[in-house]
Amino acid sequence: MSARATVLKLRPFKLPEREKRTLANGLDVYLLRRGPLPLVAARLIVRAGSAFDQPGRFGLADFGARLFRRGAGGLSADQLSDEVELVGASMGGFANEENVVVSMSTPTKHLGPMLDVFSKLVMAPDFPETEVELARRRTLAMLTNELDDPSSLADRALIRAVWGEHPYGHEASGGKADVERFTLEDLRAFHRERLGPRIAQLYLVGDLDPDQVMRWVERSFGAWSGGPPAPPPVPQWRGIVRPGEIVVVDKPEQTQAQVRIGATGVARGHSDHFPLMVMNTVLGGGFTSRLVTEIRVKRGLSYGAGSSFDMLSGAGSFSISSFTRTETVDTLLDIALGEVSKMRARGPNPRELATVQRYISGLYPARLETNEAIAGAIADVVHYGLDDEWLSLYRERVSAVTAREAARAAKAHLFDGPARVITVVGNAQAMGPKLERFGKVSVIKPSELE
Amino acid sequence: MSVRRTSPPTEALPPALEAIAKTVIEARLPNGLKVRLLPSNGVPTCSFYTFFRVGSRNERPGITGISHLFEHMMFNGAKKYGPGEFDQVLESSGGTSNAYTSNDLTVYYEDFMAEALETVVDLESDRMRSLSVTPKKLESERQVVMEERRMRVDNEIAGMMDEELATLVYKAHPYRWPVIGWMKDIERISRADCLEYFRTFYAPNNATVYLAGDFDPRHALKTIKKAYGGIKAGPAIASVVDSEPPQKGERRAQVRHPAQAPSLLVAWRGPSAGDPDTLTLDVLQYALSVGQSSRLLKALVFERELAVSASVDWTWRFDPGTFMVSLELKPDADPAKTEAALYEELAKVAAQGLTERELTKARNNLSTHLLRELATNNGRAHALGSYELMLGSWRRGLELAARYESITGAQVQAAAKKYLSPERRSVVTLVPSEEVPS
Repeated sequence: MSARATVLKLRPFKLPEREKRTLANGLDVYLLRRGPLPLVAARLIVRAGSAFDQPGRFGLADFGARLFRRGAGGLSADQLSDEVELVGASMGGFANEENVVVSMSTPTKHLGPMLDVFSKLVMAPDFPETEVELARRRTLAMLTNELDDPSSLADRALIRAVWGEHPYGHEASGGKADVERFTLEDLRAFHRERLGPRIAQLYLVGDLDPDQVMRWVERSFGAWSGGPPAPPPVPQWRGIVRPGEIVVVDKPEQTQAQVRIGATGVARGHSDHFPLMVMNTVLGGGFTSRLVTEIRVKRGLSYGAGSSFDMLSGAGSFSISSFTRTETVDTLLDIALGEVSKMRARGPNPRELATVQRYISGLYPARLETNEAIAGAIADVVHYGLDDEWLSLYRERVSAVTAREAARAAKAHLFDGPARVITVVGNAQAMGPKLERFGKVSVIKPSELE
Repeated sequence: MSVRRTSPPTEALPPALEAIAKTVIEARLPNGLKVRLLPSNGVPTCSFYTFFRVGSRNERPGITGISHLFEHMMFNGAKKYGPGEFDQVLESSGGTSNAYTSNDLTVYYEDFMAEALETVVDLESDRMRSLSVTPKKLESERQVVMEERRMRVDNEIAGMMDEELATLVYKAHPYRWPVIGWMKDIERISRADCLEYFRTFYAPNNATVYLAGDFDPRHALKTIKKAYGGIKAGPAIASVVDSEPPQKGERRAQVRHPAQAPSLLVAWRGPSAGDPDTLTLDVLQYALSVGQSSRLLKALVFERELAVSASVDWTWRFDPGTFMVSLELKPDADPAKTEAALYEELAKVAAQGLTERELTKARNNLSTHLLRELATNNGRAHALGSYELMLGSWRRGLELAARYESITGAQVQAAAKKYLSPERRSVVTLVPSEEVPS
């Protein structure tokens, strides 16, 4: 490992030390002081994301978290907006697959009062009935309007085709039928039962004085109580549910097909993380990746093409994403599938490997330049239980991957033959005959993804 | 070559911005290339920006989209680094690159590990000196751009509406055509067009480079001088004539396309970036659409529930730009009613201006936005470069917060009255249709 790192001669890069303090109620607080800009980012993360929404109530966590900003601690939506926005701060909540995330960004000089408001959002959302109904009507309208966006339709179709009934198999926003069903009691129970200081972490990064900030945090969050004693587990996953199938979302007006290929991947923190990431960057990462070279540079079939591993707690998926005009959808699929097989058979060559190692590790410090990015990176380390050196040795670990390890990771984790699903959004009639040879085709309407 | 340590200060800056201003080093090579260095040691990476003063504004009918197509061609090989080598050499040196084309500018950047500075300067100067445009590469890139157009415009409702809007707002000015160009023009742009374009606009005297990050300024300047010094200055560039006649009444158009909900775009021709009214409209833009307490979000999204989202785009341009309101409607909303509600809100500003609290809020948010832009090497190089190109000097960009402070409610009211009047507006409505367009 160290031999390779020496060859790369990486200039030292070290984040300022972070401090961890824990309140009496169990809330872990991570503080990182850095300048020079007079700004602070805060992020509170609770393991209560959409994967823990119950069937029939998918989308509850996201819907609830977005409502935090629309009434809390006795302050109305207008009062909250006015107070926060007046000083040039911003704050709000949402849910992703695993977490409810409430974040804030503020000029340093307003940090104390803004932390008070922030804690109200987290600890005391009021869910005023008028706001709940307003949010419901707006969310339903947005879910309908989204059906006009071919790219997000393709992603929606893919999530379902890949994950099936697993809790990761629905969008964080839920569907229209779910959103129509939420009651006030659902929202209150969500907040009362699923959120709490023992499964939450607060991250504060920026131009701050840790001792002063801790006094404010004690004052704002010290009284938070209740919620689960430990994070809920994510169910096991056996892998993609409909291998070999092709789901076509019919939009007859399209002259272009949005294409996704999905397969089983790995969970976050997998021991093959670095070989896999390096290998995938060769396959579909930067501008010189094999997918971009074959699809865009050599053939002009698309403006963009890429692949990624989405690594979550307990399970993960792999996907390829691109688009092309209707007439060339089969050529694009042939090339993308062919590149996966080639990579799976032989792995990256030494030149490709060296390129992406330098590419990833050279640019890594630029991924940690803002308060928000640093808060996110530290949160990932904590949330996924990654080791303490994850950030500090990241570049060295990337540099240490050997061609043999990358090839082994490709063979172990890239899909083989038909162990994948394909989703395409476009003109079904025009594409139909071109798609049949890739597997069993089923055609659905956009409205089936509402 | 002249080297200066910074522009002469005009307004006092807040400490965090003064600290940035103090580090800036300016130089100008004899061939006219402007060089700006922004050293800092936050992270061991750099960003290198090249701003060319050319965009779709400099095109003519028949070759619309050439600026953008040309931006793509810049990645396809030059004398020293041949086809495919630009990205290959850059990525293997620990860097990445991208570019964009606007109505006014074509902008290239590289983010890279600090050690790669000499390589990056070599790559950039190679393509400015000796870009090669081969027929084969041109054909392949043309297909990529046509696919990009299909994605952004032909299969994207917002893109279709934007394109329609510009032809309403501008009758004579080149802002009339889309930056990506008309499809038929993209199909026909020739190699000869590209070569002439390169000779005219990609000369050092039409470019400004910004380097931000972890480097030794003396060494960096020497490297840049050595790489670029031998490139010959190009001819003087013909100025773009703004022949736009005054608008004599409201202009309207419809886009019929399958969609779940109607949509509205309403725009007015505003001032140019150099006009002081531009900053007043920045304040108005924030008061109307930034934050949940902004006027349009509050009125149209939360109170009257006509739209699911409301936003205002006010992008500075060399010539009078477009102040544009986009409203994404609810599926059952009435476009006429929504439009009337929008005009009611704007009329209130024209009649009464903004409250002191709204002014303070807009200024504070503009100022936070400015600080956030400066948080990264890439952001600093891009922000200061854009300010220099648009306002005449980067320092004027850093002074913006102070200038926003001096804008009064009466000025905002006057600007709303002057620019956002019914006679000056252009409106595009998306009419959802069942049938598939042929």
